Amino acid sequence: MLGRTGNIISWTIVRVPPADFFDQAPYPVVLIELDDGGRITAQLVDWEDRNLKIGQKVTTIVRRIIKPNTEGVIPYGIKVKPLW
Amino acid sequence: MKVSIIGVATTKFGELWSVSPRALAHEAMSGALKDAGIENGRIQALFVGNMLSGMLGGQEHLGAFFAEELGFSHAAAIKIEGACASGGLAIHAAVSGILSGQYETVAVLGVEKMTDHKPEDVAAALMGAGSSQERASGCTFPGLYAILARVHMLKFGTTQEDMAAVAVKNHYHASLNPNAQFHRPITIEAVLKSHKVTDPLTLLDCSPISDGASALILSIKHQASSINIVASSVATDTLGLAERNNLTQLQATKEAAMRAYKQAGIEAKDIDVAEVHDCFTIAEILALEDLGITKKGDAAGGIRRGEFTLGSAKRVVVNPSGGLKGCGHPIGATGVKQVVELVEQLRGEAGKRQVKDARVGLAHNVGGSGATAVVHILKK
Repeated sequence: MLGRTGNIISWTIVRVPPADFFDQAPYPVVLIELDDGGRITAQLVDWEDRNLKIGQKVTTIVRRIIKPNTEGVIPYGIKVKPLW
Repeated sequence: MKVSIIGVATTKFGELWSVSPRALAHEAMSGALKDAGIENGRIQALFVGNMLSGMLGGQEHLGAFFAEELGFSHAAAIKIEGACASGGLAIHAAVSGILSGQYETVAVLGVEKMTDHKPEDVAAALMGAGSSQERASGCTFPGLYAILARVHMLKFGTTQEDMAAVAVKNHYHASLNPNAQFHRPITIEAVLKSHKVTDPLTLLDCSPISDGASALILSIKHQASSINIVASSVATDTLGLAERNNLTQLQATKEAAMRAYKQAGIEAKDIDVAEVHDCFTIAEILALEDLGITKKGDAAGGIRRGEFTLGSAKRVVVNPSGGLKGCGHPIGATGVKQVVELVEQLRGEAGKRQVKDARVGLAHNVGGSGATAVVHILKK
């Protein structure tokens, strides 16, 4: 799942987040068409306003999804960042 | 098929902090039984539509819970869940129960209690309707429809004003509905100026969090004056948007509608009054296109020209109750309320909201971002 590139085919900016994502808002959620086929929905990180456009190239990376729970397990997952 | 609706009732929808789920259910069900003119001993099975009782209320076992509460002693009782389509699915299960020959007279209860929780907790619970990938992205339920809205805007030139026109129409209809959550008409400007929730959707593009309950009594026995369910169909699609084939439509709606029109022997143009799933303004635009009421890309223009508004409608009035947007959206209750509204319309008892000469009605209820769709067709 890592290092796969694609481009943005739709996006939104979540300004009213669900409980676990409070510390991250506002953040973009993007729908990506992957270069090698298929699509994914992921949070866009390390972004600027100019990256929120159809066709923006991105790559998949590992990031912490939300804060650890009381047992200390850190949930990691796939997010995407812009390729400049 | 033909299943008679012999009793209907709904509570007010809104922030009903002082009303418990038990009280909501009592009000809706006793109203429906009274409307049907029967005692609760006649009810052989109860079908309960609800989404969040477990996540928000810690109680999942709603069939038995409400059978006990409503005095349906030892009756069959089942909880049905399909996100925001829970109510419509409960009706489908009830219809199936009757058509199977197993039950003669059944009750449907759609109920939701969700306003006495923090918005961020409700938002998290609502994402139970999406895919795990969507949950991990931090997307919210309105966020999913915002993503769909942007695609529709790109493909068909749909504008913010087009979406706002849905909210304006449905708040106007709601102002004529004593049970609606919202009472005042709004303007396009007000929608555009309201707080951005998830770009491009603003607060007034989104249906509210609501409490409420609605109920139906269904019977295999027909009377000349009964309003009848003549089609009940369910279709599904992928849970997540990333796995969909086409992002400019909800295929589940199209499939369910095609099956329903076939079951009822009608076409989209035969519908006089429709209650469609406007969880967000863009959803009504998609619904009119996917139900075949307009051609693809034509719904927004028709809505703006008032072609689906009470008083100026050309062919079909859409969401005379105010829809989810204006009347409110207690999740499990909505699909049932839609049918309550259609029955009142077809009986000629809709008062200020009456659609003239309404003979054929359609209810459209969607779960998630289009993963489940339920279509019911009613005839006088």
